Amino acid sequence: MSRERPPVLVTEALCKGCGRCIEACPKKAMTLGSDINQTSGLTPIHIDYNLCNSCGLCVVACPEPYGLGAEVYDLEDPRHLYGEQARSKRPANVAPRKIPLPKVEPMVLKGNYASAIGAILAGCRHVYGYPITPSTEGAELMAKLLPKLDGVFLQACSEVATVNHMYGCAAAGLPVMTFTSGPGFSLMLEGISYFIGAELPGVFVDVMRPGPGLGYIGPEQSDIKLACRGLGHGNTHAIVLAPTSPQEMLDLTIEAFTLTYKYRNPVVIAADGYLGQITGRVTLPDHLIEPGLPDWAVWGDAAHKSNLISSIFQDWSELEKHNEKICAKYRVMEEHEQRSTGYQLDGATTLVVACNTPARMAKAAVERLRREGRPVGLFQPLTLWPFPIKALLTELVHANRIVVVEASDGQLEDELRLALHHARGPDVDIRHLRHMGGILPTDQEIYQIARSCTEVAQ
Amino acid sequence: MSQSHETKAADKKPGAAFFDHFDRHAHGKGLKGGTTHYCPGCGHGLAHKFLAEALVELGVEDRTVMISPVGCAVFLFYYFDTGNTQAAHGRAPAVALGHKLANPNSIVVSYQGDGDLAAIGLAEIMHAAQLGIPISVIFINNAIYGMTGGQMAPTTLPGQWSATTPEGRGPMQGQPMHVSEVIAKLDGASYVERCALYDQRERKRCKAAIKKALQLQVEGRGFGFVEILAECPTHWHMTSLESELHVKNVMAKEYPLGLIKDVTREPWFSPAKPTFDVERVLDVLETERDTVERFCQKFPEHLDPLDVSIKLAGSGGDGAQTAAMLVTRTAICEGYDSTHIPSYGPESRGGTSYADVHIAKSEVLSPAAPHPHVLVAFNAPSLDKFAGDVRPGGMVIYDASVIAKAPKVAEGVRVHAVPMSAIAQRLGNVVVKSVVALGALQQAAQVLDERSFLGELRRSLSHKAGMIPVNEEAFKAGVQAVRTPA
Repeated sequence: MSRERPPVLVTEALCKGCGRCIEACPKKAMTLGSDINQTSGLTPIHIDYNLCNSCGLCVVACPEPYGLGAEVYDLEDPRHLYGEQARSKRPANVAPRKIPLPKVEPMVLKGNYASAIGAILAGCRHVYGYPITPSTEGAELMAKLLPKLDGVFLQACSEVATVNHMYGCAAAGLPVMTFTSGPGFSLMLEGISYFIGAELPGVFVDVMRPGPGLGYIGPEQSDIKLACRGLGHGNTHAIVLAPTSPQEMLDLTIEAFTLTYKYRNPVVIAADGYLGQITGRVTLPDHLIEPGLPDWAVWGDAAHKSNLISSIFQDWSELEKHNEKICAKYRVMEEHEQRSTGYQLDGATTLVVACNTPARMAKAAVERLRREGRPVGLFQPLTLWPFPIKALLTELVHANRIVVVEASDGQLEDELRLALHHARGPDVDIRHLRHMGGILPTDQEIYQIARSCTEVAQ
Repeated sequence: MSQSHETKAADKKPGAAFFDHFDRHAHGKGLKGGTTHYCPGCGHGLAHKFLAEALVELGVEDRTVMISPVGCAVFLFYYFDTGNTQAAHGRAPAVALGHKLANPNSIVVSYQGDGDLAAIGLAEIMHAAQLGIPISVIFINNAIYGMTGGQMAPTTLPGQWSATTPEGRGPMQGQPMHVSEVIAKLDGASYVERCALYDQRERKRCKAAIKKALQLQVEGRGFGFVEILAECPTHWHMTSLESELHVKNVMAKEYPLGLIKDVTREPWFSPAKPTFDVERVLDVLETERDTVERFCQKFPEHLDPLDVSIKLAGSGGDGAQTAAMLVTRTAICEGYDSTHIPSYGPESRGGTSYADVHIAKSEVLSPAAPHPHVLVAFNAPSLDKFAGDVRPGGMVIYDASVIAKAPKVAEGVRVHAVPMSAIAQRLGNVVVKSVVALGALQQAAQVLDERSFLGELRRSLSHKAGMIPVNEEAFKAGVQAVRTPA
């Protein structure tokens, strides 16, 4: 008091009685109390003001923000009752901006490069990755181009680190993506679950290769199950896009960024090894995108200070509500984001169902069968999840046979069967042509199996 | 009461970057609005406090992003009135880098415990430290897992009881990990200090260390790492006071306190803002702004009405992929659809390498070429392997300089023996044999137009203009070799 220091006061309800202040007090004014506080059930410290000289060393030693101080923390303060958060204003939502692009000659690009350039045009300037064949060219091109655009490519120490670098960037509100393949995608799944739980956008290009284990580096489609049904722990789903050509690698990557922000949920682009490696003609869109800054971003400035990115909910009923909110987004995606395309579907009684590179082979087979006058069409899902069941059901009005062509042990067929079952679709004869290990179904094989279907039908 | 508000507002600076009320802690109901979730005597509360004070003293609390770990400090965001992101177990430094690189102006703090940082997250912390990008890491070492209920940590002391070392940590459970010393060995780390909380002197030093680590970040100088030996009375089964003495008399013997590394670097971290300028983007993407002249009068229907397939095969380094890519680019410039798919493999060179190319009038369907119209073979194994697959009416072109024996082909397949390597050698550059092959391919199969190939060669070599003449010569020599065979 003599040196005009404010007296040290204990907020008894907030004092846990740990006694760290006892050691700190040079005057030995602090002692463990004996009266149980009726609010906390703990025994707060006792201060002997005859000894205390208000030096404040006990305050420095107190682990509680509001346990000891110059004033008593007022639990009844109306500010506290109504809460700080309720008062804090949300920052403005800065929308992305479309900037027109002049027409340029078509580019000649490898699938992986096309996806990378799609991401750049979609406004992505932050890419993290770990080299893995057959996806690596995506990371390599980003490493070359992004520094020239004052963006960031960082080669992470693993796919686990990759997905978490992405998580930080996404939490800050900026578009982010990676390229990977099977084993790397497996490692990213925990992080993708966090993305979904924390409602963060991010684009994952999985250039699928054969497994299990190390497998090898050819084309396969055996991550469909992971992408559609196994995105880490919890109730997880993400839109899964399946491109067919370098052009679609670019187009669907741009689309993926739109979708990932629309739903605040990651998007997976499931390509196959061939698609990563194939070079083809790619026409650029008529605009590029400059990203905005969403109001929920933890950007690191005063306006966004009250934001929190987290997937932990201590209260079980709140966590259930959070799950319901996320699942409600899945229902909206199922309703509005089913995408598919087709070829020669008119009057087809047999449908070849295929995606990615096998869809090209299937198209060639369908072309040949139609020339022979056989009613075969190609149904090609562009979203594997949600499966485009609505469009398929339309085709099943006239078609009664399906041949699922894929480079996996029925992972695409499982998606189809599940969707068909949930939609109470008609009883339909489902056959398949499968290859694995890096071998893709050939147009000749597809031709033969589809042809045999039409013969049975006749 | 209003007076006390004023006092509090005036006290705010210097103060701490804590919320006035912990709304996120069980909605701030009852006591939880004013108290932490930590056990009595826990070191976390003090570390929080010193960090919260340092942020305000440096005036950076508004642009700070705290990364909470998994562990007892998972609820850091209940208390810190800053931006907050909660990370997966062990990954806080990776998340922190994501934040820092997204907004270099943000002050990013990765706050982690010993399980999070030294066990599951060791790779992330090592690489973050080695990278050296200015972020600040607060490492709480209490030698035990708190949140899961007192199991062994990498930093658990020899002989120490934990729920998973019920007989005390023995030789089979390994030795305590000295993380700060390891981090200090990494060239990327600028500043490493180990502190404690058990007495006034150590508390003061700890606060100063936290502030210094933050300061390094604010100035864009480097990566700062502060290890804090913290008390866990609950899982040590000690009183608060016993815990403080345990840190002082036991833990600090194993983990010596003090400055471990301090390398002053000049401020260096100031990345530019990403650009979305159209001109710059188009330049960086190397797009072709001018319309490319077309020469082909019609699709090579003499080969196929819709889709011509070509296989180019050799050993790695023969240039099969380069030639294939040039065919694809040329065809696309001519307005056709075209694809090139390499037989890709691990990055070991010298094996066989082949490329499948399609040129389609409107759309390439199946991109593989199991039965090509044209085979270009650069070595004998490739010729043996693929010559029989060439479809009737097609042709085989091979390097007669290195392949002595003419291939067996189906009836109706034409064969062109072209001494590609010899021609390239004569031109003084063996690498251009793939371009000789291109000339031969064009002359033999009339796939596109000589001028379109020559135009594409010039465009592709615009960065190495000096190489254009020899490539043009090579192409023309290839044409000539087919036109007038030796």
